[in-house]
Amino acid sequence: MKIFVVVPLFNEKKHISSVLKNISTYNLPMVVVDDGSTDGSDIGLKELRLKDVTVLTHRINLGKGAAMKTGADFAFEKGADAVIFMDSDGQHEALDLPNFFEALESGKYDVVLGSRNLNYGVPLVRFLGNKFASVLMGLLFRIYVSDVICGFRAVAKTGYNKVKWDSDGYGVETEMVARIGKNKLKYCEVPVQTIYHNSVKGVTLLDAFEVLGNVIKWKLTLK
Amino acid sequence: MIIGLQIIALLFSFSMVYFAVLHYKRGELNGMEIGSWLILWLATIIIVVFPQLLQEFAKTFSIVRVFDLMVIGGFIVVISLVGSAYIRTKKLEKKLEDLVRRDALKNKHK
Repeated sequence: MKIFVVVPLFNEKKHISSVLKNISTYNLPMVVVDDGSTDGSDIGLKELRLKDVTVLTHRINLGKGAAMKTGADFAFEKGADAVIFMDSDGQHEALDLPNFFEALESGKYDVVLGSRNLNYGVPLVRFLGNKFASVLMGLLFRIYVSDVICGFRAVAKTGYNKVKWDSDGYGVETEMVARIGKNKLKYCEVPVQTIYHNSVKGVTLLDAFEVLGNVIKWKLTLK
Repeated sequence: MIIGLQIIALLFSFSMVYFAVLHYKRGELNGMEIGSWLILWLATIIIVVFPQLLQEFAKTFSIVRVFDLMVIGGFIVVISLVGSAYIRTKKLEKKLEDLVRRDALKNKHK
């Protein structure tokens, strides 16, 4: 099975080298989508000289969802059977990749979702927000996912067209879950670790409110 | 009181006419657009100066004061403009996203 790892990147000069080095131990083709970084992350990438890394550059910042879509479109065009998405800020451990390989290679699932142990090391606001999201998605889309907003996830080619999202920004994970529920795709959750580096970057309370509004929109508009 | 409101409304309408002409001269509005804006603001000026022109019209909607009719009309215009601006922005966003993503896929590097 040909699996690509897609890493959306925005201003993560500090972490991107170690993230890619850790992934490279599994000899997987990597697609890094530089989403208009302004901190010199792109220079760091050129200096890395890792094998089998393709860099796609958005000239302006479009958001995480758009970067993920560009990466996935490229990977599937290059013959990938599945793509695994990992964040570029070092929050996801490459050591968890074998959990995804196992689930994808079983051929049973269209989507494999990473699930963090939310009882340990997760800020309280995020824990509560995540649980609320799980319940809400269960009520609206009849799907239970224990960690709705975890960005460490994989999509098989069989499910990509049905799960392909419109969200540009941080709503992408929630929209994927909504589409999985709506299209009754086969999915599973695998345990992953998460390390929190920065409380300013990533999903903020404002993003959460925007996503909440979108959830209602998806309920009314998704086909 | 009404005179005060009329003065404010007139000042506002004249400044909007000025901005419309300014944007037309800069080439940001075409002939059709400047025409529509000028008609809208000139009509507003006429109604502000001669509110009795709309008195009968207001009564048909059970609205006692022309001022109230203008406020309701203003809300309708503003809501329609915000709605159409929202749709246009969404379309532009989509076009920009497609362009940037296509460019990224075309110019990959290893």
